[in-house]
Amino acid sequence: MRRRTFVSTIGSGAALGLAGCLTQDGDSDDTDDGTLTVVTYESMVDGENPAGPWLKEAFEAEYPDAELEWELLPDQGISHYIGEAERDISIEADVYLGLNIDDLVRIDDNLDEGGLFRELDHDRIERASRIRDGLDMGDPHGRVLAYDTGYISLVYDESEVDEPETFDALTEPEYEDALLAQNAQSSDPGQAFLLWTIDAFGEDGYLDYWQALEENGVRVLEDWTESYYGAYMNEERPMVVSYSTDQVFASAEGNDLTRHQIAFPNDQGYANPEGMGIFEDATSVDLAYEFLDFVLTNDAQAEIAQRNVQFPAVEDEYVDLDDEFDQYAHVPPEAVTVGYDELQGNLDGWVDDWAREFASQ
Amino acid sequence: MSLGDRIAADRGRLSALLERHVLWLTALLMAGVLGVMLYVPVGVVFGNAVLEDGVPTLSHVADVLTDPFYFGAVADVFADPLAIGTHLGSLAAWLGAVSITLSLEYPLPGVDLPVPWLALETPGVRKGLFGFTAYQAALSTVASVALGLPAAYILANYEFHGRRTLRSLTILPFVLPGIMVAVGFYAMFGQTGTLNTLLGTVGLGPFAFIETNPLAIVILAHAFYNAPLVARLTVAAWESVDVRTVETARSLGASKRRAFRDVVVPQLAPAVLTGALLTFIFTFMTFPIVLALGGLQLATVEVWIYDRIQRLDYTEAATLAILETILSLGLTYAYLRYESAQAGFSQAASRPTRESLVPDLRTTLSPRRLAIFTYGLVALVVFVGPMASLVVGSFTDGSGVTLRNYAFLLERQLEGESFQTLPLPAIRNSLVFGVATLVIAVPMGVVLSVLTVRAGRSGTVIDTLAMLPLAVSGVVFGIGLLQGLVFGISLPGGWRLQMTGAVAIVVAHAVAAYPFVTRNVSPMLANLDPAMVESARALGASRFRALVDVELPLVVNGIVAGAAFAFAISIGEFSSTVILASGSESYTMPVAVERYLGRRSGPAIAMGTLLLAVTAASFVVIDRVGGRADR
Amino acid sequence: MTELRLEGVSKQYGTDAGGTTALAGIDLTVRDGEFFTLVGPSGCGKTTTLRTIAGFEEPTDGTVSFDGTPMTGVAPEKRDVGVVFQSYGLFPHMTVAENVGYGLRFRDPPEGTTVDERVAALLELVDLERMGERNPDQLSGGQQQRVALARALAPEPDLLLLDEPMSALDARLRESLRRQLTQIQSTLGVTTVYITHDQQEALAISDRVAVMSNGRIEQVATPQEIYREPSTRFVAEFVGENNVFDGTVRTRDGDRAHVDVDGTTFELAGPSLPADGQQTSFCVRPTALTRGVEQNQLSVTLETCEFRGEHVRAYGRWNGTAVVLQLDTVPEGEAVSVGFEPAAAHVVTSQ
Repeated sequence: MRRRTFVSTIGSGAALGLAGCLTQDGDSDDTDDGTLTVVTYESMVDGENPAGPWLKEAFEAEYPDAELEWELLPDQGISHYIGEAERDISIEADVYLGLNIDDLVRIDDNLDEGGLFRELDHDRIERASRIRDGLDMGDPHGRVLAYDTGYISLVYDESEVDEPETFDALTEPEYEDALLAQNAQSSDPGQAFLLWTIDAFGEDGYLDYWQALEENGVRVLEDWTESYYGAYMNEERPMVVSYSTDQVFASAEGNDLTRHQIAFPNDQGYANPEGMGIFEDATSVDLAYEFLDFVLTNDAQAEIAQRNVQFPAVEDEYVDLDDEFDQYAHVPPEAVTVGYDELQGNLDGWVDDWAREFASQ
Repeated sequence: MSLGDRIAADRGRLSALLERHVLWLTALLMAGVLGVMLYVPVGVVFGNAVLEDGVPTLSHVADVLTDPFYFGAVADVFADPLAIGTHLGSLAAWLGAVSITLSLEYPLPGVDLPVPWLALETPGVRKGLFGFTAYQAALSTVASVALGLPAAYILANYEFHGRRTLRSLTILPFVLPGIMVAVGFYAMFGQTGTLNTLLGTVGLGPFAFIETNPLAIVILAHAFYNAPLVARLTVAAWESVDVRTVETARSLGASKRRAFRDVVVPQLAPAVLTGALLTFIFTFMTFPIVLALGGLQLATVEVWIYDRIQRLDYTEAATLAILETILSLGLTYAYLRYESAQAGFSQAASRPTRESLVPDLRTTLSPRRLAIFTYGLVALVVFVGPMASLVVGSFTDGSGVTLRNYAFLLERQLEGESFQTLPLPAIRNSLVFGVATLVIAVPMGVVLSVLTVRAGRSGTVIDTLAMLPLAVSGVVFGIGLLQGLVFGISLPGGWRLQMTGAVAIVVAHAVAAYPFVTRNVSPMLANLDPAMVESARALGASRFRALVDVELPLVVNGIVAGAAFAFAISIGEFSSTVILASGSESYTMPVAVERYLGRRSGPAIAMGTLLLAVTAASFVVIDRVGGRADR
Repeated sequence: MTELRLEGVSKQYGTDAGGTTALAGIDLTVRDGEFFTLVGPSGCGKTTTLRTIAGFEEPTDGTVSFDGTPMTGVAPEKRDVGVVFQSYGLFPHMTVAENVGYGLRFRDPPEGTTVDERVAALLELVDLERMGERNPDQLSGGQQQRVALARALAPEPDLLLLDEPMSALDARLRESLRRQLTQIQSTLGVTTVYITHDQQEALAISDRVAVMSNGRIEQVATPQEIYREPSTRFVAEFVGENNVFDGTVRTRDGDRAHVDVDGTTFELAGPSLPADGQQTSFCVRPTALTRGVEQNQLSVTLETCEFRGEHVRAYGRWNGTAVVLQLDTVPEGEAVSVGFEPAAAHVVTSQ
C-alpha cells in the first residue's frame, strides 16, 4: 500500500546532496483497502512477550480480509500528531492505542476542542458497555474508550519500613530519606503520583505537602527505570512510587517478595487508564470500529492484561485471568483519578509550580 | 584539432576547473547541508523566542533574564541594570556576611578521623537555574580534566601490555546511552552495588555513595563521559610534543619539572583547553543524567527546555535554548581566539619514547609508579566499574546467573515480526551509519579547518558559528528536525519536502560529528609552516593538490582522532536518530536499547552490553587500521 | 627567461580608514637574467612585494607582469616561479629526492631528461648527490636550504624568488652558500629576486639593489651606486655606516658650496649641489672622516671605540650630533680632530 506518491527521491534531493521526498496534499488515496494502521507505544510491540503480535494475529484471524499494521508512537508522543494536525498534514494512522487523559487535554489546549480523534459512536462498539464503572475517562467529546488500566501505588521493603497507611505518614521521621519518586515533568508514574497528591490535598494544599515531603528527604528522579531499576533495586532507599502489579514481575524474576510489598496510602491507588481512539483522518473507519470492539473481547482483555501486566478494562465477568495474575496484581480498595475537567487548563501550571519548588533552590 | 582531442581538452579543463574549486564547492555543499539540517530546523525553533506574530521582540528574552528562578540574584541586575548603587549595596551586604571559621571535621563517613577544616561561610546566593547549571558544569569540567589528564600522561608516556587496546577503549563511555550510564552507576555505586560488594568482602561498608552526595555522583558521571574525551585529545597532543624542545630546555639548565612546565605544558594547553571547553559545553547542556542520578533538585536548563517542549511551550523553550547557545558560542569564540594565538608549534620531528611501566620490581615500587597504580585503581572504579556492572547485570536476575536476556535478543532476532525492533538490523544500521557519517563528516570537518585556520578574525568567527552543532541544545535540535524535516517544509503548490530515514539520519549524525574533526585537525593544521603549502603552489600544485599532497599527510593523526570521535558520535547519537528513524527500519543500537526498555530492564541492558561489545570491537579495529600513523 | 615589471603596485590590508598600507605604489623593472635584491628593515614591505610577485597576494592596485603579460588573477601555480622561503618549507613526509621532484609532478622536466635524471642533476648542482633518500630533518640547515633551492629550480622556473633564505644560518655558512648561489644563478641565467634585511649581503651578491622603506622604494641602483651615492637620507643611513649632517647652504658657486651646520661652515664639492639659502643634508662615510685631513675639521668627543682588526671604529659626538669614525689606531685622549675632503661629502634628500 502506498498512500503517498513518492515523486522523487533523487531528483529533488540531489541538489542538496540529500535524499528527501516531495509529497503533495490530496495525494492520499482515501479508499478503505482493508489495512488498519494502529499507533501504539513501544512496550506493546517491542517489550518482552508483548500483546501487540498476539493482537495482530488474533484480529487478522477473526477478520481474514483485514491486515493490521503496527506503527510505533513517535518519540514526541501525542505532540507529534498535534504538530502534524497544526500543519494540516494528513495523519496516516487509523487508531491510537495508548491514549491518556492528559493527551486529550493537550490536544484540546492546542487544537480545536475535541480535535484529532473522532467522537466514538458507541452503537458500533457492542462491547463498550462491558467497561467497568470508574474507567470512563471523562472526555466531554467522547473520543476515547479505556482498554486497560494500571494503578500507581507505593512499593516498599517490609524489612526496612512498615507499610505507610496514609500520605501524611510519609512526612514523618519513620520515613525520613525513604521515598523515591519520579519527575512529574517527564514521567508517567511521576505525574500520576503528583495528581494523586493533588486529589488528596487539593490544589491549594499539595505544594505544602510536597514541601513536607522534601523536608523529609524525598528524592525525585527522572524516570521510572532509574528510580526502580537504578536506585530502588540497588537498595538506595526502601520505598518507591511504582505500579501495583510489581509482584507479578518480581515473582517472575525470582525475587524475594520482601522488597516488593505494595502500599496503598489512604487506601487508595491512582488509576491510569489507557484508552483507544480513532483518528479524524482515519480511512479504514469501519475496520477501526471492529478493532476497538475486538480489543474488548474476553480473550483480548486477558492477553493484554497478562502480557502487558495491566488490569483489564472490562468487568470481571467478561475476562478470565490466571490465578497467578490475580495473586500478584493488587487492586486498591479505592481508585482515584483526576479527570479531564480538572486537568484541562490546570495540568501545566500544577506541574510547573511543583517543579519550581524543587529545582534551582 | 579533432573532435576527440577537443573533448579530451574540455574534459581536462573541466577537471582542472573542478580541482581548482573543489574546496569551495565542498564548502558550498557543506553550507547547503548545514542550512537544511541545522540552520533551518534550529532557526525555526529559535524563531519562537524572538518573533511574536512575525514581529521581532525581545520581551521573552527579557522575561527569562529577569526571572530569579532562572537567573537568581543576577536577575535583579538584568531587571534594572542602571541601579548600580543598589547592586553594589547588596554586594557589600553579602560580603559583610561572609565568615571564615576553623573547625574539626570528620570528612570520611564512619571513620573517626578529625581533619582541621577551614570553612568559608557565605550567605546563600540564589544561583538560579542558569547559575546552578554553570556551577555543576564547572565542577564537572574540573573533575573531568583531573581524571583525564593522568590517563593521558600514562597512555602517552608509558608502554605496557594492552596500552593500544586500552587507548582504543577510552571511547566507550562516549557511546553509552544516558539511561545505561545511570543504571551502570547504580549497579556500581549503589548500596548493594559492585563496589559495596567488593568492600564488603574486606569487611567495609556498605557506604551510601549516591545518597550521601548526589551532586558528587552526577559530577562523577559527567567525568565518566568527558574525562576520556579530555584524555584522548591530550594523548594526541602529548604524542606530538617535540622532545627536542624538551632537550633544548634541559640543556639550557631547566630541571625536569621546569622543562615540563615551560616547554611541554604550553604544547599541551590547547588540547587540554579544547577538552575542558567541550566538557563544559556538554555538561552545561547535560540531560538526563542529572535527574537520573541526582534528582530534581539538581535540575539544569536543559531539563526545563525538555519540559517546555513536551508541553508545546516553544516560546520559553526556544528562549532558554538561545541563551544556552549564546553562552556556549561565546565560550567557543573566546577559546578559538586563544587557539589561533597559539599557532606555531612545530610538528613533532622526534616523538617522545615511552618508558616501560613495569620494568623491574624496584622501579615498580617507586612513588611515581605507585601513584600511577593508585590512579589505575580509581580509573577502574570510575570508568570500568559502571560498564562492568552493566555487563554483569545483563547476565543476572533475581535468582542468579541467567542467559534469559540474551535468549530474548536471540528469539527476537529469529522470530521477531517486521514491525518489531530486531538486534541485528540495529547493529548493522549503527555500523553502516557510522561509516557513512565518516564519509561525510571528515571532509566537512577538514575543509572547514582549511578554510578557517589562516583566515584571521573572520576565520575565527566562521569557525565559531560552525561549532553550532555543539552549542545547540540536543532537545531543540531534535524538535527542529521534527518540525523542519519530518513534518516537512511547505513549498508552493501544496508540495512539502520531507526528509526522514537512513539518509537524513546519516546527515544529522555528520552535522553533529564534523565539529570534532575540525577541533582535532585545526590546531595541527595551524601548526604547519605556511611556507610548505606556498612552496607546493609555486611548484605548480593547485590549492587542493597542496592540501592532499602536503597538509593532509601531516595532520593525519588529527584526522584519525577526529574520525574516531565522528564514528563514536554516530554510534551513540540518540535524540535526533529516534526522531528521524520513526516509522522506518533505520533504528540503531541506542534506539533499540530504548525500545527494549520496559518494566523489566534486562533485555535493554543486554542490548546495551551488545552496544558496548560492538563499539569496542569497532574501535580496536579502527585504531589498528587507521592508526598506522601511531606507533 | 623573463623580465619582471611592477607598475604602481600597492597593497592595503583592511578597510581604507582602519587599514594599514603595506605597499604604497611600487614601480620596478627586473631585467631578464638579473640578480635583483630587495633590501630594507623588517616591515618595509619587501616580503609583501615578493608574495605579490609570486601570486600569494593580489595587489590592491597596480599590475605585476612577466615579459609584458599581466599576472592579475593568475594563481600562484600558474606563474612558473620558483620560491625559496626563509623556513624552506620542505615537506617533512617526503624524502629529499621527492621534495626536489615535487614540482615535476605538474611541469614536465626539460626535454630529453626524465624526472629522475632531472632530480639527480639538481642534487648534483647543489652538492647533495648522495642525500636523495634522506628525510629533510636528517639534514643540516645549510643542506636543507640547498634542497629548497634545488626544489625551486627543478621545474625550470621563469623567475626565482628567494625570501631571506640565509637568515637562519651562521655567518660563515652564509658566505659560502652565497657564493654557491650566485654561481648557480649566473650559470642558469634565471631572473632572480632576492629578499634580505642584510645590506651587506645585498651589496655582495646583487646586480642591482632596491632599498625599501615604509612600503616605498627609496632607490634602485647597482651596489656601488647605492653605497657611494645614496639618493636619500634613509639609504645613506641604512646601507653601511654613515654620518649625516643637516645645514643651510650659505654660498654656492658651480660645483662648490659652503654649508653652515650648527655655526660651523663646511665646504662641499660635486655636481648637483643645492642652491643658496636652501636647507640640505649631506653624508660623509666614516672612512672619509679621518685624521690628517686639513679641510672641514671637526673635533669629536669620543664615547666608545671598537677594535676591528684592520681598523678601529670610533663612536662619538660633535656638537651633540652622533658621529662614527674609522681610525687606524685607538686614539689617546677624549677627543680627536678629524676632517673630510669636500668631494667626499654626498648630498642626500631627506625623503
